[in-house]
Amino acid sequence: MTLLRVRDLRTTFPLEGRRVAVVDEVSFDLEAGQVLALVGESGCGKSVTALSLMRLVPKPGRIEGGKVSLGKTSVLELGVPAMRRVRGRRISMIFQEPMTSLNPVVRCGHQVVEAIRLHEKATFRAARSRAVELFGQVGIPDPEQRFDAFPHELSGGLKQRVMIAMALSMRPEVLVADEPTTALDVTIQAQILRLMRELQQQTRTAILLITHDLGVVNEMADRVAVMYAGRIVEFGSRRSVLSEPTHPYTRGLLAAIPARAVRGEPLHEIEGVVPPPSQWAAGCRFCTRCPEVLDHCGDQVAPAVTIGADHVAFCHARAESVTGESR
Amino acid sequence: MTAPLLRVSGLRTWFPIRRGVWQKTVGWVRAVDGVDLEVNEGETVALVGESGCGKTTVGRSITRLIEPCAGSVTFAGQELTKLTPRQLRTARRHIQMVFQDPATSLNPRMRVRDILAEGLEAFGIGSGVSERTDRVAELLKRVRLEPEHMMRFPHEFSGGQRQRIGIARALSVEPRLIVLDEAVSALDVSIQAQILNLLSRLQQEDGLAYLFITHDLSVVRYLARRVSVMYLGQIVEEAETEALFAQPQHPYTRGLLAAAPSADPEHPNIEARVLGDVPSPADPPKGCRFHTRCPEAFDRCSVEPPPVVQLGSRKVRCLLHEPAERDPGVSSESGSSGVAPGREAT
Repeated sequence: MTLLRVRDLRTTFPLEGRRVAVVDEVSFDLEAGQVLALVGESGCGKSVTALSLMRLVPKPGRIEGGKVSLGKTSVLELGVPAMRRVRGRRISMIFQEPMTSLNPVVRCGHQVVEAIRLHEKATFRAARSRAVELFGQVGIPDPEQRFDAFPHELSGGLKQRVMIAMALSMRPEVLVADEPTTALDVTIQAQILRLMRELQQQTRTAILLITHDLGVVNEMADRVAVMYAGRIVEFGSRRSVLSEPTHPYTRGLLAAIPARAVRGEPLHEIEGVVPPPSQWAAGCRFCTRCPEVLDHCGDQVAPAVTIGADHVAFCHARAESVTGESR
Repeated sequence: MTAPLLRVSGLRTWFPIRRGVWQKTVGWVRAVDGVDLEVNEGETVALVGESGCGKTTVGRSITRLIEPCAGSVTFAGQELTKLTPRQLRTARRHIQMVFQDPATSLNPRMRVRDILAEGLEAFGIGSGVSERTDRVAELLKRVRLEPEHMMRFPHEFSGGQRQRIGIARALSVEPRLIVLDEAVSALDVSIQAQILNLLSRLQQEDGLAYLFITHDLSVVRYLARRVSVMYLGQIVEEAETEALFAQPQHPYTRGLLAAAPSADPEHPNIEARVLGDVPSPADPPKGCRFHTRCPEAFDRCSVEPPPVVQLGSRKVRCLLHEPAERDPGVSSESGSSGVAPGREAT
């Protein structure tokens, strides 16, 4: 069952006197109980995509088109009060830096209580016992005592657990996790990823996981969408995308991981850098760095090439080789 | 065998905790507590650990950017900890550092030309402005930047380009050792690959030695010949890279390797073996510092500080690898009941 359906999402920011779409015609489906990973490097638009779904795009950014359906609700058409009821209750979000997303002068437990009481008529006492219970569920030791702790008294891993407790307090249908473990050490990251997986299996919450780390994708995701310069360039199941990467960008990303390389041999490089959004090409935006670039790549939007069941890449070079073979 | 280029032994850097009106010292943060390291000419040694383990303090204590409290640092036969400030300046020419965040380690008000020429001027390399400018152009070419861009300011470059400037600055004074403190950690993977390739090329061309300080095991595996794993101010395991990854011996090393996600679709395999958080270095646990998080800890671990055990070319700081293990009859007093479960786990 498709829980979250995103079609042709377009979010723009003013740059150099005109509005540039930093999220451009992005479409994907998130199924109930699944984890969809949105992968890409910095500046590719994955965080803006997440904020668009939450209707939290900071000004002067603007959602200019597309459709986001959460069940039967059309998220982009809701009024502000109605959106406030959906946000947190049906779709909630955790951020990269738990240090900056918790209020430093409010006790952790009170922040969770606040979230609960915003959505439900609950007494402080009832909400408190719910919060303590949630703290226990997300593996915070001594939840009763930690309820009264200030954020600075907790480690980064514990703060992220508080964020998860807050995000899950309303049992949302969809959890958007924007780089939830990037700021954490690897042993702590392993604990948080395991926790997210366990909670997801218990609650059947669908997760949109935003990350730059293909290792994290491999650990967590059922399906993967690879983003480059505001567009999705390839999507498919985790196994299919990681074992048969098809778009030259996906291939380049995987080949650049040092763990896959042989010591003493040079690493695969993707030449150059992501161009600034004002210079994005009309066609395939990877054309400036692509080792397989063709003459028309920069001018025409890349066609979809089907690689397998539910695995699609958007690439001119692949399209040519496919039609070439079939002739 | 020739003496190593850099030998660190018993390095200890503690920071005082001061309280009250008179700033009385009430305790010590034991950031680095007895670290031994060796780096040979032309080789790459990695120092790995999580945040707060003291790895950055080791790097800075070697160059005396932070004064160590005890221990010795010998570089090319010279004892650095005993040098006068003037002597130290001369010696530092041969040890350079590259920092994690190129945005904050380059002066935003200086042009790239001046950033790169500063070291040349300080050490009197090149005579006159025009010769130094030529050298700067040469340096920029070596790190694959356009010499025409030397009059730009750091903010006009991307993150990867700024890190190239940081590397060029380190190279400018022709060092023999570069301490790279999380030099690629802030970069995207495609840019990280470019910088790692640049570093290996420079190493081949100049015979540079690198001390590579990082938390990222995949980079270590690709780059380093030897690895030291650090936990709460101490090195818990040191080994050749291949051996360390194939057969980690210390429970912390095993935990780190098990927790590192891999992008191999056949092996999504992380395990959270090491639980909880790192204790405070101001009050490290008694006995083995890792025992509070160790999945293989037994009763002696919380009492006895583990010895450093030499296993071939590898060193491990763990009671599980005590030599007495091979001869169970000898250590009868220590109580065999506590040792037994540990042995099974190895």
